Amino acid sequence: MRAARRASDQGPRSRTGPRSDVAGPGPALTGGVITIEHVSKRRGRTTILSDVGFAARPGRVTGFLGPNGAGKSSTLRILLGLDRAQRGTALVAGRPFAAWRRPLTVVGALLDEGGAHRARTGRAHLRWIAASNGLARSRVDEVLDLVGLGDAAGRRIGSYSLGMGRRLGLAAALLGDPAVLVLDEPVNGLDAGGIRWMREFLRRRAADGATVLLSSHLMGELAETVDDVVVIDRGRIIADGTLSEVTGAHPSLEDAYFALTEAGTRGPR
Amino acid sequence: MRTELLKLAGLPSAWVAAALGLLIPPLLVTLNARAVPAGTDTGFVELTVGVLGPLVLGTIAAGSEYRGGQLRTSLVCVPSRLRLLAAKTGAVTLTVAVTAALSAVLTLGVAGVLTGGAGPRIAGVVVYWVLGGLLAYGITLLTRSGVLPLTVLIVNTTAVSFSYLLTKVTPLAAYLPDLAGARMYLHDMDTPGDLAPVTGGLVMAAWVAAVLGVAGYVFHRRDA
Repeated sequence: MRAARRASDQGPRSRTGPRSDVAGPGPALTGGVITIEHVSKRRGRTTILSDVGFAARPGRVTGFLGPNGAGKSSTLRILLGLDRAQRGTALVAGRPFAAWRRPLTVVGALLDEGGAHRARTGRAHLRWIAASNGLARSRVDEVLDLVGLGDAAGRRIGSYSLGMGRRLGLAAALLGDPAVLVLDEPVNGLDAGGIRWMREFLRRRAADGATVLLSSHLMGELAETVDDVVVIDRGRIIADGTLSEVTGAHPSLEDAYFALTEAGTRGPR
Repeated sequence: MRTELLKLAGLPSAWVAAALGLLIPPLLVTLNARAVPAGTDTGFVELTVGVLGPLVLGTIAAGSEYRGGQLRTSLVCVPSRLRLLAAKTGAVTLTVAVTAALSAVLTLGVAGVLTGGAGPRIAGVVVYWVLGGLLAYGITLLTRSGVLPLTVLIVNTTAVSFSYLLTKVTPLAAYLPDLAGARMYLHDMDTPGDLAPVTGGLVMAAWVAAVLGVAGYVFHRRDA
């Protein structure tokens, strides 16, 4: 409940310049824990997820790892109430996502596809999102500047590069200044500078108390960003622990990952 | 609902659709004035064609959710699907109603038949447009694509009236939504059956309610 009140309790924030938020927001964020328990999903006869369970905790960046098609996006979609599971529960700060009246003040979500109609301008896209949760219109320009899209705000989203689309998605996720972030492949399409910026941004958020859950199939990048690792393969959780626990005796997270998933022996998919 | 109005306002195509509805009937009535002698349905026939605007608008309102994955963003903002649909349905209704009223006054004014007694028939046009827009909206929501409503409903309205052709096969075709609904304001219809204006409106409303009911149920159940 504390997380839900955060955004509305705070007064208007000072306007921040591009990327200055890397220096960190003032008050400590109090993230809610994400708990996923016994989630199973079938689509027709295909089992997408079987008995998936893990937690992402405040103050930590949790990496959700797995090959393409392993069930990462499905799990995150169930967490966000977009898809239905046949069994199990997925809670954010103790409640199902759909039970929050102004969810953007609790959870910020970046989805795998852009989630934006290409004919709109970036600013128009964020404006309706802000309106849907009763957020101040001034937040739109704040988050646009924060992700470095201030100059492109008046352009149609269709003209954005992949990296700009990701930044717009992140801007939408940050509109309600949530203490929980759920990000599906956040560095997909970002250039080296963008990846570094994203990593520092997420680390800073977690250091301030936020719960950050992100999915990725990029081991090397993930190893530098996360505190905890959850590995999913063919719809099952096969490893769950701190980065060092999951890496174990292997030289790197990547080696551990291939040993765990046997993806290396299966060749490219 | 303010959110849904903002969503529509952010789409250039929605403005085009509103402009179509607003401008087609007065233009048609101007052109027809030279060729067709004025009659009891002058202006109202052209307004029937103008339903094209709401058909496109309803299609855009629902179809835009399936472009670029917008629906997922919408549901992250408003997790209750019923609340989302209610707001969207309200936004379509309001936008179409305003467009219809403006277009009707403009069209009848241009044709010189805007009299005090035209009030109930104008109300009929407004209801016809709103129900038409919601019909296209419901079909788009159900099929997740604008192809079906855009082809069938628009061709039916402008080029070849399948509904009219069907009346040659069976008199029951008079109960199709477009023909029944037009009874609300057209006096000289050369189609079988003789529905009273209110009955015609109720028949059309029943069609729309059925489509929206099914579409809403499916939308509520299916993965986004």
